[in-house]
Amino acid sequence: MAGAVLRAGAWPAVAGISGVAVVVGGCGAAFPAAATALLPVCFALLAAAAAFTLDEPASLVVDVTPTGPARRTAIRAVALLTPLAAGALVLLAAALRGLALPWAAAGLALAGNVLLGFAAACVARTRTGEPGAAAGAAVVLVLMAPGLVPQVARWVRTFPAPGAGGPSSDHVWWTVLAVCAVAIAISAGGRRLPRWRARGAIPRLPGAVRP
Amino acid sequence: MTATLEFGRPGAVAGRAALVPLAAREMRRFVLNPVFLFAVVMTEWTTWTGGGGTTTEIDNVNGYPAVFLGGFGMMATYWLTRSMRASEPVAGVTPTTRPTRTAALCWVAIVPFFCGVLTLFGFLHPYPVGDAVYGPFSPSARLAVLVGQIVVPSLGGPLLGVALGRWVRFPGAAFVLFLVIFGWVELVTILTLSHQDSAPIAVLRLFSPFAFFTVHSDAGGVTAWRGSPWFFIGWQLALCAIAVLVALLRGAEGPVRSRIIRALAIAGATAVILLVLAGTGGFTHAVTA
Repeated sequence: MAGAVLRAGAWPAVAGISGVAVVVGGCGAAFPAAATALLPVCFALLAAAAAFTLDEPASLVVDVTPTGPARRTAIRAVALLTPLAAGALVLLAAALRGLALPWAAAGLALAGNVLLGFAAACVARTRTGEPGAAAGAAVVLVLMAPGLVPQVARWVRTFPAPGAGGPSSDHVWWTVLAVCAVAIAISAGGRRLPRWRARGAIPRLPGAVRP
Repeated sequence: MTATLEFGRPGAVAGRAALVPLAAREMRRFVLNPVFLFAVVMTEWTTWTGGGGTTTEIDNVNGYPAVFLGGFGMMATYWLTRSMRASEPVAGVTPTTRPTRTAALCWVAIVPFFCGVLTLFGFLHPYPVGDAVYGPFSPSARLAVLVGQIVVPSLGGPLLGVALGRWVRFPGAAFVLFLVIFGWVELVTILTLSHQDSAPIAVLRLFSPFAFFTVHSDAGGVTAWRGSPWFFIGWQLALCAIAVLVALLRGAEGPVRSRIIRALAIAGATAVILLVLAGTGGFTHAVTA
């Protein structure tokens, strides 16, 4: 059963975006001067890849099977290994190139990015069968906000750049990890079918009397 | 007896008649799109606050309209184009052809373009063309830098979104492309910092829908990089034409298709020539003023 749930995942999207992230992160490793600009972009792409792990085109059928959402979410979470492995590969390449990054903080940022994408997908999955595009876009915009809006960068840092002043990214990511864990637990454990889907699943004949 | 004069082929006249209401409808949908509204608000905010810091050179602040009106505009038009996929079986059997519907979507880009023009005028208030933040560029080149960094990306981004929406099925394509372009601009700009006088690096920097032209010099003043802002605008407009033609190509048949392919070849050749001219024109080395 786990194999069937995993096979139905949006693997082309997850693997494709992770591949693009590896290319972007690889450029960051190859050109150390650009690493602090490109690694956050790479991590944002990995977060977007994580957002596609719960996509289920056949959700109308799958959501009414006896397999509960918690079990399905747990099985699909295995797909997170793809963006995590891609991120680890990029960090390894950066380490081999001699980049002086705070590695523990960078690893935490990688885990936080991926978990944020997955949590957004979990929350959106309670309303739609294919949350990847919307959740991925939302997560990317949030993660890129410090790079796009300088006012945000003064308050929040999402990547641990060496020698940079301002707030530490570790506080941000520990908070994000805690909030994401709660959000995933609530979404996967206690979610219900969206109303529009419940109506579609139980068709009512014209003139039928509500019991 | 009444004689009716009709100019042009009946099909073309019917196509034009359908285009106007379609374009108006798509514009209404686009203007109400929350992503576009957010982009407009952010553009105005960053324009008025100047990025919230001290502006030492114009490239500190003029990238934001390109990001918001161009990048976010691309995402908005991509979703606008994709939103019609579900109704394609119905819309596909109407007398209006797909290229006509695509052309109506392309007309939507007029809205962010005008927003870009207004932003340009807004920019000229705190940063007049005579200001020192533009570095050693001539007044006309300074205007070209602003047009190339604010107005043309506001037009090109949404057009790229339409082309992407017509050809790519993957729903996350717009934000992936946005991040790739963002990363590319960052990479080539950082490479330029260490190879300021290199012609190939200048061409690489300009091989993008958006490019920076100045940097704050450590010794004081503003350094202008090599490259011609005027030819860069030409390159950007060629990219816009390519985006429109690629979008129109989807669903085009018969002689229209061959005309579009011919036009694409011409636009591609023009783009390459303009890119080379942009990279080799202007200052031949970095100049600080």
